[in-house]
Amino acid sequence: VSKGTGDTGISRRALLGGLTATAAATLAAGAAALPRSAVKSWDMQTDVLVVGSGAAGVAAAMGARQAGADVLLIESLSQFGGSSAMSGGVIYAGGGTALQKALKVQDSVEDMFRFISLAGTVHPPLDKIQLYCEHSPEHFDWLVAQGVPYTDKLTLTKGLPMGDESLYYSGNEQAWPARDLARPAPRGHVPGVAGMNGGRRLMQVLLSQATAAGVDLRANVRADRLVIERDGRIAGAQVTVDGEQLAIGVKRGLVLASGGFIHNREMLQLYAPQLYDCSVPWGNADDRGDGINMGIAVGAAALRMNEGFAIAPIYPPESVLSGIIVNASGQRFIAEDSYHGVLGDAIAYHQQGRAWLITDRDSSYTFHQDNFLPVAQASTIGDIVATLDFPKGALQQTVAYYNLHAANGEDPMFHKSRAYLRPLQGPPYHAWDLSTTQAFFPAHTFGGLHTTVDGQVLNSFGEIIPGLHAAGRNTSGIPTAPYIASGLSVGDCTFFGRRAGRAAATGLEEKV
Amino acid sequence: MNRLLSIMALAGCVLLSAGPLNAQQTMPIGDAAKGRLIFAPCRTCHYAEAAMGHNNGPNLHRIFGKVAGKQAGFEYYSDTFKAAQFVWTPEFMFVWLENPMATFPDSSMMSRGVSDPQQRADLIAFLKQASVRESPVDD
Repeated sequence: VSKGTGDTGISRRALLGGLTATAAATLAAGAAALPRSAVKSWDMQTDVLVVGSGAAGVAAAMGARQAGADVLLIESLSQFGGSSAMSGGVIYAGGGTALQKALKVQDSVEDMFRFISLAGTVHPPLDKIQLYCEHSPEHFDWLVAQGVPYTDKLTLTKGLPMGDESLYYSGNEQAWPARDLARPAPRGHVPGVAGMNGGRRLMQVLLSQATAAGVDLRANVRADRLVIERDGRIAGAQVTVDGEQLAIGVKRGLVLASGGFIHNREMLQLYAPQLYDCSVPWGNADDRGDGINMGIAVGAAALRMNEGFAIAPIYPPESVLSGIIVNASGQRFIAEDSYHGVLGDAIAYHQQGRAWLITDRDSSYTFHQDNFLPVAQASTIGDIVATLDFPKGALQQTVAYYNLHAANGEDPMFHKSRAYLRPLQGPPYHAWDLSTTQAFFPAHTFGGLHTTVDGQVLNSFGEIIPGLHAAGRNTSGIPTAPYIASGLSVGDCTFFGRRAGRAAATGLEEKV
Repeated sequence: MNRLLSIMALAGCVLLSAGPLNAQQTMPIGDAAKGRLIFAPCRTCHYAEAAMGHNNGPNLHRIFGKVAGKQAGFEYYSDTFKAAQFVWTPEFMFVWLENPMATFPDSSMMSRGVSDPQQRADLIAFLKQASVRESPVDD
């Protein structure tokens, strides 16, 4: 997003600021965390150290700065912005935000809460969801106040707006069963820029505001390990700059916000085997789990480490949603108009990674696309089956049952929206491969450290680790599997990032 | 730094001769079908379809044959790419994609590249096809 070299860049000399790196030589190699006694002196000290420059880290830095702390933010790569800057930049917000009101969209905190808490995982983190929903309108006001540009435009088209619209249905709100659980409302708030550049714009604004607020941002500084006091308090971190190790001490607190681990194949295989099989790791280069591992190394509990965002982006065009999606038994298992994260989750986690989209003439892809390969084409459904390995007669039975009811505008099994519901009829028929290994199937991780609503990191006994905070995909937060709407992750990063930063700055760690 | 110098020399070689490169490693024959999903993570930032425009990274439509770092409407080139005078060839991209952040440390492309030579060749074979499709309705 913004250059890490130049004005805000750092060399080892610059970071040392004339100090001698006495500590470097004494740091023990191979320890999961460094005892404070191994650090003879700090190469640098700050009130609050933030690790990572995505939405969570920058929001934490701003929160800590606002609370009066001196803040040093370090980024391992040369560019600031993290995966957030590569994302669509959607913030899931509702309950009557200024933008919803301007567009006369009806919403309530209760409906937003019901949607997030009921339409996704079992046993969701209710404390975080409640706080997130209750403060959503004011959090959106904060984003506007920072200068994130939003247009007073709503689109009803599914998928991230390619135009400059700033409000859309970003998730599963209108699909069954979600629409029966909570009154749907468009809650995807996205910067009003054309194309998929919302994340970059969001992070440009936040980084610029963080800099203006006096946050000290340093690129090419990698955090390696935490430094821990004898009493368990986090005293700082060992970092690497230009190949040399330095020690940074914190007077008030440290915030881990260095993202998930989709680019760490070893961790994926160990913790999130379903995501390991997804064909496309989706995230910035250093989403390698370093922050999560640093937390675990000092006793932090890690939650939902197998969960993540697994995406089967079959739309646009919406016309394909009139097709049906079947598993290896030739049976439907979901409403085809489900949000692509909900569909992806169903395939990756509940159908052994295998599924096919069956289309007729009018629901077929009409343009070249590389996401999903056609693995069968025929003039009858029976001939489609001949090239696929479904149980005998299963797909024919599925289509017959589906067509019988679709002709009456009904889908007794999965209640696909009427807008997409019609019998499958008219050759050529196609089967498109939606499997995790063969389709364009992006994924990233949701598992991370166990935290309070203030980002205080908890150990496996449920106790706070003094001085340690975390935010964003370094934690397990609002986004869980299935991911039910775009914007929950960056929304969680910014909202709980601010809280984690404030808590780190005010030394809020004694009480749970 | 040696690597940077060698790739810069390579760039000069591309400019002067536009012929086969005498690179240290030879590019294997690529398989475009296999390259489809090797290229997929690149789509976090790059599209090969002209209609999709620039994203976090510049659009890759007809990228081979273009001078690097000069596309209109993309404002986020690093200084290295702004000043670059080399032309993107499959061979040059093969070298670059081995470890982009090490090759040009100031590049804004946050990718660790594709270390396996065959996979890299497959990616390029795919991109050679995907980057020259003129109309999306050609299937």
